[in-house]
Amino acid sequence: MVKWLALAIRIAIGAAFVYAGIIKLQDPSEFAINIASFQILPNFLISPMALALPPFEIICGALLIAGVWRRAAALGIVVLLTVFLIAIAAALARGLTIDCGCFGTGTPSRARMWLDLGRDALLLGGALIAYGYGGYPPVRSSRTLASAA
Amino acid sequence: MSGAQLGKDFLGMIGLAILATICGLALNRFRPNPISLVYQSPDQQLQAELSQLVNGPPLDSFPVETISLDQFRVAVADKGVTILDARAATYFDRGHVPRAINLSRQDFGHDYMRLRPMLETLKNKPIVVYCAGGACHDSKMVAQALTALGFTQVRIYPGGWDGWTAAGLPVVHS
Repeated sequence: MVKWLALAIRIAIGAAFVYAGIIKLQDPSEFAINIASFQILPNFLISPMALALPPFEIICGALLIAGVWRRAAALGIVVLLTVFLIAIAAALARGLTIDCGCFGTGTPSRARMWLDLGRDALLLGGALIAYGYGGYPPVRSSRTLASAA
Repeated sequence: MSGAQLGKDFLGMIGLAILATICGLALNRFRPNPISLVYQSPDQQLQAELSQLVNGPPLDSFPVETISLDQFRVAVADKGVTILDARAATYFDRGHVPRAINLSRQDFGHDYMRLRPMLETLKNKPIVVYCAGGACHDSKMVAQALTALGFTQVRIYPGGWDGWTAAGLPVVHS
């Protein structure tokens, strides 16, 4: 049961990030504006980040779904989500009202920022499960199998 | 989970990040509208585009109506007409036609952005632009830029500041 749950979580996280990446890929200039609104990155990093992040999300998401290079992909998503959480929390603390552009562009609002924070925290939990337990078939080392034989 | 495994996963993640960066830059290269690698805010982009409008030589295919000194005097006295001074701010500050607002050719993008809220209300109102006079083309270039931006009643006084002051007409100092 746990095995299937971990698998389902892994695939769901993967699908969410493929979706998010595709949305952002459609309008990189808008996503660059979203990144700039956080007022964290220096100017010269904003466009490269806007161009690199969507493919990163798509690649990691696809690898998670396929179960290939699962750990590296899941770790990538864990790092991404951690950065998003810190950025949104910092923006909230600084009194900024912005749209993170995480799953498409919307109207900036403080309420939505809190929802984004909660959503990303849940996704982070799922990504950590995908990293630690999302292997399929279930993670059993060859030594365990050999000693059981 | 061992440190070695974590290290291996981290290196894998870095590899994916490098791959994603290459993909992102390649995709941008082949987009119909690639984004600049140096970020410009929408306001900065607009300012750059506005500056482009006045960077070329005057467009002869874009004729602008001219007025005489007498017509210019009437326009200056008429509060329904907006008077724009296309000279650089340094010259504007030293002296300008009464009621004139500085929308310089030299700093058009910046000045237009600064005056934008007011200018947007004047799209269909009469505007007269002047500059130094004589061989100065700045008023024509600003007038053509405004016409390109949708302003419908833009004229120029080619005699400019020189013509106004030579006639002994009142001036204002900033």
